[in-house]
Amino acid sequence: MSDLDGAIEQLRACRLIPEAQVRELCYKARELLIEEGNVVSVDAPVTICGDIHGQFHDLMELFRVGGDVPDTNYLFMGDFVDRGFYSLESFLLLLCLKVRYPDRMTLIRGNHESRQITTVYGFYDECIRKYGSANVWRYCCEVFDYLALGAIVLGASSELEPTAMSGANGLSQSTMQIDDSELETEVLNSRGEVTMSTYRPRQRSSSDTSTDSRNISPPRDISAAPGQTATPSRPGAPGTGASSNGNGTMHTSRTGAVLCVHGGLSPLIDSVDKIRIIDRKQEVPHEGAMCDLLWSDPDEIEGWGLSPRGAGFLFGGDIVKAFNYHNDLSLIARAHQLVMEGYKEMFDGGIVTVWSAPNYCYRCGNVAAILELGEDASNGGTVARSNGNYARSNGIFNERVVSPGRRYRVFEAAAQDTRGMPAKKPVADYFL
Amino acid sequence: MAAPQIPNLNTLRRGPRRSRPDDGPYRPQGKDCIVQSTDNDASVSRLSAVELGYLDDAYVEALTPSESATRRFPIINRGTYVRATAIDQLVARFLGPYSADNQKKQIISLGAGSDTRIFRLLSSRSTPDFVYHEIDFSVNTAAKVRAIRSSSLLQQVLGINASENKVTVSKSADALHSPSYHLHPLDLRVLSPNTSSPETILPGVETELPTLLISECCLIYLSPTEADNVVAFFTKHISNHTSQQPTTPLGLIFYEPIRPNDPFGRTMVSNLAARGIHLQTLHRYASLEAQRARFREQGLASGQAAADIDFIWERWVGEEEKERVAGLEMLDEMEEWRLLARHYCVAWGWRDRDDEPVFGGWKNLEAQEGSE
Repeated sequence: MSDLDGAIEQLRACRLIPEAQVRELCYKARELLIEEGNVVSVDAPVTICGDIHGQFHDLMELFRVGGDVPDTNYLFMGDFVDRGFYSLESFLLLLCLKVRYPDRMTLIRGNHESRQITTVYGFYDECIRKYGSANVWRYCCEVFDYLALGAIVLGASSELEPTAMSGANGLSQSTMQIDDSELETEVLNSRGEVTMSTYRPRQRSSSDTSTDSRNISPPRDISAAPGQTATPSRPGAPGTGASSNGNGTMHTSRTGAVLCVHGGLSPLIDSVDKIRIIDRKQEVPHEGAMCDLLWSDPDEIEGWGLSPRGAGFLFGGDIVKAFNYHNDLSLIARAHQLVMEGYKEMFDGGIVTVWSAPNYCYRCGNVAAILELGEDASNGGTVARSNGNYARSNGIFNERVVSPGRRYRVFEAAAQDTRGMPAKKPVADYFL
Repeated sequence: MAAPQIPNLNTLRRGPRRSRPDDGPYRPQGKDCIVQSTDNDASVSRLSAVELGYLDDAYVEALTPSESATRRFPIINRGTYVRATAIDQLVARFLGPYSADNQKKQIISLGAGSDTRIFRLLSSRSTPDFVYHEIDFSVNTAAKVRAIRSSSLLQQVLGINASENKVTVSKSADALHSPSYHLHPLDLRVLSPNTSSPETILPGVETELPTLLISECCLIYLSPTEADNVVAFFTKHISNHTSQQPTTPLGLIFYEPIRPNDPFGRTMVSNLAARGIHLQTLHRYASLEAQRARFREQGLASGQAAADIDFIWERWVGEEEKERVAGLEMLDEMEEWRLLARHYCVAWGWRDRDDEPVFGGWKNLEAQEGSE
């Protein structure tokens, strides 16, 4: 392992490792990834990250803000390469960390982890320039073919532990904290200061809630899941709209599972199990379920729409609601789309876009974000792997799935020349 | 002489950096060099778009320095496509359909650099019904003269052949004059309403012809006063001298960045400043409305309109053509495209005469509403 630690150290300093070592690393990574299913199971706590795109210095900033490996568990949702100037350093470092700490590092595939896209968007050229041949590009592409297509996060807590506020700063805004509420979301800047918090009513015990059936959401077919138990709740903050039908294909915890995928949903995929049976070990196809998972985008439409990207689909809030409902999910986390604020929740919190490349392409002026999901310690730290019999209420069989508490850490682009790392002055194309 | 700090993505992507004349960003001469070199940026982008099938242009290769050939990213190619086709559309509507008895018109392209439009127009209209002027720094016009001298294709289009040669080149090889094409080596900053009439300083310019001025990312490099003076020079002198008010039809097309005050805009300003490029009029003409107001102030009273590149792509490009262009390359980042495309605009304004209007074709082009 000392070789690997040496490689990690070298890559952390933004220095490349020899081609032979890349070959060996890629071979080991493949052996590891081949054992993973298409949908990797990950236990909370975990920090979910979006596109990196070769912005190595910003990846270092991400680790500074989010905590180092292996102290923090990470889930990267693809697009490690292309566009930025350090795709090799970024991807090889992540791969080294994956091989070194396989249980603490999860990498899933993005649409840029593809032979065709990398030849257009820069990774291929970078390999040629830095290694003098296409060998390293080929090794990396073989690893791409083995990357999982998604991940399921289990055991996330519905409630955040509030971040201790240091000093009285005027930054924070929040929804009014009422009695018996829990912290649902928190947004922190890169200095760890809370800039926004939202609260929701705490889940009542069964005796409290049994008389309160004012607002059971979403509307559902009662006959669809006979024998299930229910926990109706009071009207909650946005993001609490999903519920479970316990169809036996998924394990749920109290907060429901979180599906992580690079792009989004596919009209060919109505259950997480259908993702599991894809034959993924191939170049990203131009169409079909695998392509859609890596290319699709949520949009303010109903149903499905054509994607202006030329691959994948657009999908509306109704699609997300139905998918989450049928799969015991409380949230879909995805990347793939630049969002200027670093993250964007849509459809009553049913889906979130996480974008982790600040000042994308050294040009866009956006901030980046990572999403932390905490561990649900209420079961003594044990992840609930089956539907719990929480509460029975007024004859409606309904297990309510609550969205996880979400902590977003927002950060800006790293100052490139302050870290003692080689850094080309960034240059971006404009029309002149 | 220090090499510039990576002013161009190409040089990062393919081989060693090209050296480029640069006397440092603080001396006026150095600044001018950097502005002059932006022409290379534009022609490489155009070549990239042509090679990938976005645009059809037989002349761009002959006018782009060969060592700088490269492939741009898909969003740059699409942006180049929209920019080029939008301005082509405005020019075509100004010139109107070709006919042998057309009234002669005049086009004056400011900071034209290695632009190919003159060659495309000459080859598409059997007997030129226009006279075309390009004005640029002497270093850029000299480069164009060299390109013409070394390309039989360009010479053929200009009508240069063994039996007949109506083309003259100045001793310093930076000015060119022919019946329908004039290349003027001139620092635009000398032009103002007080400058003597065009005939002496810009030989071949005919002040009584309906005239179209084009500034593709050109006047934005001048100070607001200098930029306004250049326009005022033409609005004053392009005129029927028999009347008090300048009445000769005159239109103006700007292609420029806008919206410098959002995160993308601020990043653009600082990235370009790091290259020594200062977009001096950007903050004054920062919005579509500011662009329209600019035309009104300049006396182009008959019409003022503007649209950003995102709007033009969505509304001017037909569905079939959109599909063709989208099929050329996988354009992955739609958000990035919209972000970039919303920060460039085409603005067009004109003054016209009541009888036989020249700019009628501009009236029914869809412009973008809103002040932002």
